[in-house]
Amino acid sequence: MNVGDLLDARVLGPDGAPLGVVVDVRLSLEVVDEAEGGPGAGEDREEAEHDAPLSAQARRDAVGGARLVGLLVGPRGAGSFHGYERTGIRSPWPIPQLVRRRHRGTFLVRWEDVAAVETGTAVGDDGARRVRLARGYTQLPAELPSASG
Amino acid sequence: MKKLLAAALGILTAVGGFVDIGDLVTNAVVGSRFGMSLAWVVVLGVVGIVLFASMAGRVAAVSGRATFEIVRERLGPRAAGANLLASFAINLLTLTAEVGGIALALHLASSVEPRLWIPVAALAVWLVLWRVKFQVMENVAGLMGLLLVGFAIALFQLGPDWGELLRQAVPPSPPGAEHPASYWYYAVALFGAAMTPYEVFFFSSGAVEERWTAKDLGTNRVNVLLGFPLGGLLSLSIAACAAVVLLPAGIEVSSLSQVVLPVAQAGGVLLLAVVILGIVAATFGAALETALSSGYTLAQYLGWSWGKFRRPARAARFHLTMIVALLLAVGILMTSVDPVAVTEMSVVFSAVALPLTYVPILVVANDPEYMGEHVNGRVVNALGTVYLVIVVVAAVAAIPLMIATGAGS
Amino acid sequence: MTDRRGERRLVDARLHLLSRQVLDPDGEPVGAVDDLALAGPDGGEVEAGREAHVDAILVGPVLATRLFGGRVPDSRLPRIAWDDVGHVGTAVELTVPSDRLDAVWVERWVRDRLIARIPGGRHDPEAGA
Repeated sequence: MNVGDLLDARVLGPDGAPLGVVVDVRLSLEVVDEAEGGPGAGEDREEAEHDAPLSAQARRDAVGGARLVGLLVGPRGAGSFHGYERTGIRSPWPIPQLVRRRHRGTFLVRWEDVAAVETGTAVGDDGARRVRLARGYTQLPAELPSASG
Repeated sequence: MKKLLAAALGILTAVGGFVDIGDLVTNAVVGSRFGMSLAWVVVLGVVGIVLFASMAGRVAAVSGRATFEIVRERLGPRAAGANLLASFAINLLTLTAEVGGIALALHLASSVEPRLWIPVAALAVWLVLWRVKFQVMENVAGLMGLLLVGFAIALFQLGPDWGELLRQAVPPSPPGAEHPASYWYYAVALFGAAMTPYEVFFFSSGAVEERWTAKDLGTNRVNVLLGFPLGGLLSLSIAACAAVVLLPAGIEVSSLSQVVLPVAQAGGVLLLAVVILGIVAATFGAALETALSSGYTLAQYLGWSWGKFRRPARAARFHLTMIVALLLAVGILMTSVDPVAVTEMSVVFSAVALPLTYVPILVVANDPEYMGEHVNGRVVNALGTVYLVIVVVAAVAAIPLMIATGAGS
Repeated sequence: MTDRRGERRLVDARLHLLSRQVLDPDGEPVGAVDDLALAGPDGGEVEAGREAHVDAILVGPVLATRLFGGRVPDSRLPRIAWDDVGHVGTAVELTVPSDRLDAVWVERWVRDRLIARIPGGRHDPEAGA
């Protein structure tokens, strides 16, 4: 199964009630400690910082495994522009505000609360995938922790 | 001293590189029909391109991602694909106009028919992209483009009524004979001519390829801040020459020879030769940048290896794209389509295409995940939002105005 | 640099990983992330509700199916194992040089058949004319 198979799948509650669409898949990346710098870090820090390319300062984490944490369920498919309903960015006005309004009600569901991922085979189904949630699932807030966290 | 020379070179190259065939034709047309009453659009466009180019440069330098990579990453495959098609097509239109412009200028200089110059011009552009050290060519084209200052010289030699020119500009007073719809159509065209998208693709791709340091970013900011407004002055002098010579005589601009008519009248053959050389250099430089932009947009959308500093074997599909784009441009021009008409279309469509790249850049410039602490400050953001409105309004109004005015006729 | 071992960073696939640039250790572009392949424990099938992780990045021709729908059979997709991913920032950086990846065959084909055949194709433009 690929992440792309989960995206845009319809989400149904334990009793079959439509809850929305999978707008994104949340992963937990293991951050590995770096003993030595990668291509971005210089040896002589002081001097290197002046002559280093600006892009070397961009946030990049050395990563290990990526675990599937859960699914983000929202009212509309295709994902939101720039994920504004999940981040705290407020500019440039009015774009984040409009996007947040459109995607209000997006929540996170843990992967453990997913009962089944099925492909529609019944008559009249368009073959789209459906995600059925387990009984007692919880709706968690969709926000991502801020970048500096 | 060496630093000062390097800084001067950067600024002068930006000035000479600002004007392309779109600016030449559109400013001359506007001057011949509306006098200086659209001068405010040039000012608006210059401020806009300074803002846009410096934002795109900062985004590229800090995040390490060039403009079309950002479009691909932020819009998702379908929307970004549509964006790519539109941007690539309009870029191709501009490339066609620039190559046509080189041929027209060479035709002015010799009496050889433009159609014969077209393949020569395209081949020359390709050879430079293939073999020549790019920085050298960019500096040569940029500095020689400064020869367009001949328009300003011609303007002074014509001894115009400065008061009259000023009166036409502030407050904008279009001649009564022109319909308001035409006025606004040409406002959009002039705006698109000043804020050409290829400039931004080119600028941001360079920032990534050259791995700009903080110092580089500062240098380029100065180049843009000083160079582009001075380039805008060149644009205004082209319009003013047309306003002084062509407008009173009711001469319409339908070919490059009318664009340079005021220069010939003011300064004779010598000044004309200087200006024609400047036109060849400016359009050649613009053709280089536009061809590279066609490669950048496609390669960045698809994630290919790209770069003007990479040897062609290391960026094979990128170079193939540019070759195909040049061949398409030549193909279009060889159908005997009027390059001036192509130019007029390309600037209007540039205005239509502007939001496609402006919005993603503005959005990412505010994203700490990409920019860290270098996100837009409040002033830049305020200006950015104002221009967001302007750019969207211009894009939406362009096609209806084009239809309503029959492309300005 | 503070010790960040054991920390975990939450990312959303569409927002942070899909469509991102994939770079090799030298910074050369390899392609764009088109999809992420998931696997259960020990690389087995993914079961709803059971532990799952990202097994590989899918790069390349999947774009056509993303635009038009449908699925490309798994055997035809260029895969890059997630273990070969070193860093995730604004791009996904690999630890494996690009020449060893299947994802690069189109570039290699164009290079060998077309570009290298034109005189000067292997010449470094920055080395002086």
